[in-house]
Amino acid sequence: MNRVIRAAGFLLLALAITVPARLDLELQFDAALAVIYGLAILSLVLLTGYVGQISLCQATFMGISAFGTGMLVNTFHLNYFVAAAAGVLMSFLVGIVVGIPALRLRGILLAVVTLGVALVFDKYFFLDSAYGWFTGGSFGWHVSGTHVGSIKVDSLHVMPAYYVLLGIFVLVALAMLRLHDSGSGRRFRAIRDSELAAATMGVDLTRYKLVAFGLSAAIAGLGGALYPLVVGSVSAQPFSFLYSLQFAAFAVLMGIRYVPAAAIGGFFMGFMPVILVRLSHSLHHDIKYDWFQVVLGALLVAQLILLPDGVWGDVRQKLDHLQVKAPRRKVETA
Amino acid sequence: MLIQLEAYTVIGLTVGGALALAALGIVLVYRVTGVLNFANGAMGMFSTFVAWTVIYDPGWSRLRPAFLPEQVWVWFAVLIALVFSVGLGLALELGVFRWLVGRSQLIKAVVTIGILLLLQSGASLIWGNTQYHLPVNVVDPQRSVMVARVPVGWNQLLVMATAIGLSLGLAAFLQWSRFGVAMRAVSDDPIAAGLWGIPVRWVGSVSWMLGSLVAAIAGILISPFINFDTISLTLLVLDALAAALIGGLVSLPLTVLGGFALGLLETYPRIWIQSQDFPKLIALLVILAVLIFRARRVLLEKQA
Repeated sequence: MNRVIRAAGFLLLALAITVPARLDLELQFDAALAVIYGLAILSLVLLTGYVGQISLCQATFMGISAFGTGMLVNTFHLNYFVAAAAGVLMSFLVGIVVGIPALRLRGILLAVVTLGVALVFDKYFFLDSAYGWFTGGSFGWHVSGTHVGSIKVDSLHVMPAYYVLLGIFVLVALAMLRLHDSGSGRRFRAIRDSELAAATMGVDLTRYKLVAFGLSAAIAGLGGALYPLVVGSVSAQPFSFLYSLQFAAFAVLMGIRYVPAAAIGGFFMGFMPVILVRLSHSLHHDIKYDWFQVVLGALLVAQLILLPDGVWGDVRQKLDHLQVKAPRRKVETA
Repeated sequence: MLIQLEAYTVIGLTVGGALALAALGIVLVYRVTGVLNFANGAMGMFSTFVAWTVIYDPGWSRLRPAFLPEQVWVWFAVLIALVFSVGLGLALELGVFRWLVGRSQLIKAVVTIGILLLLQSGASLIWGNTQYHLPVNVVDPQRSVMVARVPVGWNQLLVMATAIGLSLGLAAFLQWSRFGVAMRAVSDDPIAAGLWGIPVRWVGSVSWMLGSLVAAIAGILISPFINFDTISLTLLVLDALAAALIGGLVSLPLTVLGGFALGLLETYPRIWIQSQDFPKLIALLVILAVLIFRARRVLLEKQA
């Protein structure tokens, strides 16, 4: 089973490397967005799937690094990638600060607090003129692009940025797969299963929870930091609380405990709008983007009733059961 | 300056009354079924838009008989919206939450987020998410009375009076009526309540219907005071959660007091700070303060 999944993973990675180069610019752009969303969902797999901490403000973490990068590039004229690294650092720090309430709170109450954080940033900090020095005012930041050696990267040449993003995604995903069974990963999962038991076994809850929040914010921030490069500008709309909720919905829907769920979720989030638009064109009937969210909400509700471990988790489990059951039946009939 | 302060007090109490109403719905559902309903605001929003459709949509308002004054038609629209909200609550309970009994509180809360997304984008499909919509005026918005040299609109009085009346009424209902006792019994221990012959499922359905009804009342009454679109009412859930947390997610009268206090806290800074969405920051700070200082009281961790 694992061998099949690994082979499928390599095949998909090969497709992800080769196919977008042949697509038109709009689809290339969506491919890059898909990886950015994938990183945001991956950050939830770490925080919620591994460590059991709820966050409804991953888009906020993305936004902080995106705005931070835009600000550093525009105001201080830093090299784009230096600015991006600083942006990720900002997300990391904000993540640790948001993690502080998590030291006292669990479950739904943490969900309330992080939803509050998302709304405050979405409706206030990202939009209010008082913070224009960070958000670039009502028009946001314009980012004209950068050069890697002699290769131009901007919103009209997104492939280099796409490859950088894909590389980051693969690295983070592999690191998380390794983390799962490492010492730290076991401590993270111990916190998820029972904080009390974990603390009794000597896990430093404060340290591990804050690190988890910081790392998760930084992973989301990696996508956010490269967002301005792909899109060419930064504004508040893509980091609204609705995206945070969509990330959470997709992560839970696909299987929040599993790394591949992030790839699947990111793919759908990135491509669904353009698929809807092209479908409307070919059907001569306008299908609004809102339908995507309607379907997502309905699927999430149905999934939580029917497939509690998410699509990936439950489908895998069923397949594993099939494999185990098949030889057993033979023994019975023999 | 003093007049200004008084005027802001009136606005703050109005906002507070609306928040209290929204919070009542959350507390009611949470107490009985253990579901923290993030979709409370969205449910109220959807029902409010049903009333809006009946009043302003040409297809519907055409049905108004000529002899019927417009104000009466508005009341009729509100009635339809309230009936709709009860149906919505019942549908959600039968279609969704009945199947989640025994699952963790967190799963149920995530389900409500799915419902939030569903209602929110469903509403913007039907009614458009950017346009400004005319509010639902249950009483004439021009009418006001003078209280301490400040004009207080009838609709403002209505919000405050409904919040106080509804909370006391619901508290009395829970305390003294037969069905209220059944609701409290289910809230304490659903299995034991079932053994004593209480129709646990029906009690759950009723609390969802009541919660949805209260959310609809809140949405309709607050629509004249906010930028009435699909998003703002949905987002009211954060402030409502703050008020509900002040009441420890249990006490109805404390929730209403919390709502009024929060309304004032959110409004007074507007004397100095010109920002539409600054109150969200206050709400978050209140949530944090409540959770830090009253965490034990709130964390009754109903694992229903």
